[in-house]
Amino acid sequence: MSILVVLLSLAAGAYALAVIERWAVHGHLSLTGPAWAALALMGRESLLARKSDRLFFELGPVLLLVAGLMAVAVIPLAPELIITDLATGALFLNAALAYVLVALIMAGWGPNGAYAMIAGWRFLGQFIAYAMLIVMPITAVAMRAESLSTVEIVASQAQLWNVLYQPMGFVLFVVAAMGLAWLPPLDLPDATGELAGGVEAEYTGVRLAVLRLARMVIILALAGATVTFYLGGWLGPWLPAWAWSAIKILVVAAAMLSVGRYMPRIREARYLALSWKLGISLALANIFVVGVIALVVPI
Amino acid sequence: MILELMIALSVGAGLFGIGLYGALSQTNLVMIIMGVELILAAALVNLVAFWRYLHPDEPAGQMFVLIVMAVMAVEMAVGFAIAIARFRVRGSVEMEEARELKG
Amino acid sequence: MTVQMIFLAFFGGAAVWFGVVVFRTHSMVRSALALLFSQTAIGAMFLVMQAEFLGVLQIMMMATEMSVMAIFMVMFMMDPGGMGKMDMTHQKRLSLWAGGIGLLAALLLVWLPDWGPVALSVPGAHEQAADLGRELLGRSMLIFQSAGLTILTAMVAATMAAIVPNAEQRK
Repeated sequence: MSILVVLLSLAAGAYALAVIERWAVHGHLSLTGPAWAALALMGRESLLARKSDRLFFELGPVLLLVAGLMAVAVIPLAPELIITDLATGALFLNAALAYVLVALIMAGWGPNGAYAMIAGWRFLGQFIAYAMLIVMPITAVAMRAESLSTVEIVASQAQLWNVLYQPMGFVLFVVAAMGLAWLPPLDLPDATGELAGGVEAEYTGVRLAVLRLARMVIILALAGATVTFYLGGWLGPWLPAWAWSAIKILVVAAAMLSVGRYMPRIREARYLALSWKLGISLALANIFVVGVIALVVPI
Repeated sequence: MILELMIALSVGAGLFGIGLYGALSQTNLVMIIMGVELILAAALVNLVAFWRYLHPDEPAGQMFVLIVMAVMAVEMAVGFAIAIARFRVRGSVEMEEARELKG
Repeated sequence: MTVQMIFLAFFGGAAVWFGVVVFRTHSMVRSALALLFSQTAIGAMFLVMQAEFLGVLQIMMMATEMSVMAIFMVMFMMDPGGMGKMDMTHQKRLSLWAGGIGLLAALLLVWLPDWGPVALSVPGAHEQAADLGRELLGRSMLIFQSAGLTILTAMVAATMAAIVPNAEQRK
């Protein structure tokens, strides 16, 4: 039952997100736009590159979608509204999102195109940059909750949301999440300006539709993770629990989609240097500070 | 329950055999590292099977698995560093050409 | 026949099959990703064996490790796409014998001895994670620390070996 509810709300969220992205990119709001775009993609011819690695070409977008769905499975929308409450939920989220990298490498290698391949390997470099900054802030969050279960992590924030308890971790996590979902200004894997769409360059028709849908699911999963880990999940006054989750997730996702469009793109070498030299030191400091606070002031 | 233990251990044996074949037969350093990874994976399967079916109350068994995972990561890092250094000097990582240590 | 046994056999078969694919395919990226799926199947076996933390950790770590493996394969191989169907093996007979004998010996060691009583129940996942944490930060702290130090040393050593010598002067 809760699986069905979560999947339906996921579909609704993905559509809302598509509307918002269209709005952010083209500047005018159109509620039916994404539906027409999806229909157009369905009707378009599905091209297949010559000498492609057919298996990877077909499997890449599907694996991307599966990775996103697995990540969604451990995000609680309400105390009971979660697909599976694993004891290692926060770690499982990481494990599922690590396959985004695998899927993009497959999708980049598969079609036998230079742009797609460069984009796929470039995402590997980006992964080296953001991976640590996803895991280390989550460590601090789990330290406070004394559990890896996502439900308990939300419950631990009843007194004070983690965004106020560990603001540094929040900033690091959101930046790393934007790198993971290859959102601008960290959208080098599908750099529209320079690689002609990157990983998406060789995909057309239904496969491109799956790729775009999977990306929406991943953005939603990351927004859900941000809300679960830092913004108190379903917690909030007056409204029912699921409404708070839905509002927070959509607001975070919309912010992630639109804020980056006003910043200059970062070259991946610079992003790597920044994340390792600055980001990891800050993340370690964050873990230390949270540890001290958790020992001294029990909130 | 003993059959489950047997299945898991046999999978470990199979992976060990394949890994040994790969590590010995491949000419390329990276492929040899892959063979070694398979052997270590076989060790992982065995360790978890022993923990689960013989000593489930002993968390040290799980810790052993973590150490083997660390060894896998270290082995890969050092192996690739050697590969890069070798590639820079010789332009290939084919092990047939690496006979300097043969005496 | 229990459910656990069927799943264990399924994922074990997948792990072995992907392990064979690693050395049979000509495409290097496929080879690395086959190794990844073999390791993922092993992670799934851990999950079936109710070692939840280890299973999830295995699935997470191997995705990264094997993707890095894939890019090194493409960098260093003469024929990464496998279009030329190059043969990249040597001493094939010896390796087959060694692998076969190793496999047989391991199988004998598995099937011959009496393993004694088998534990039927395991602690729950929450309890396991907590126990493992206490073990790591208690009795096995020294081992854990030395593993961490080893990784740090390996990182420094690997970087030292890999960077271009005298890169500073060349700038």
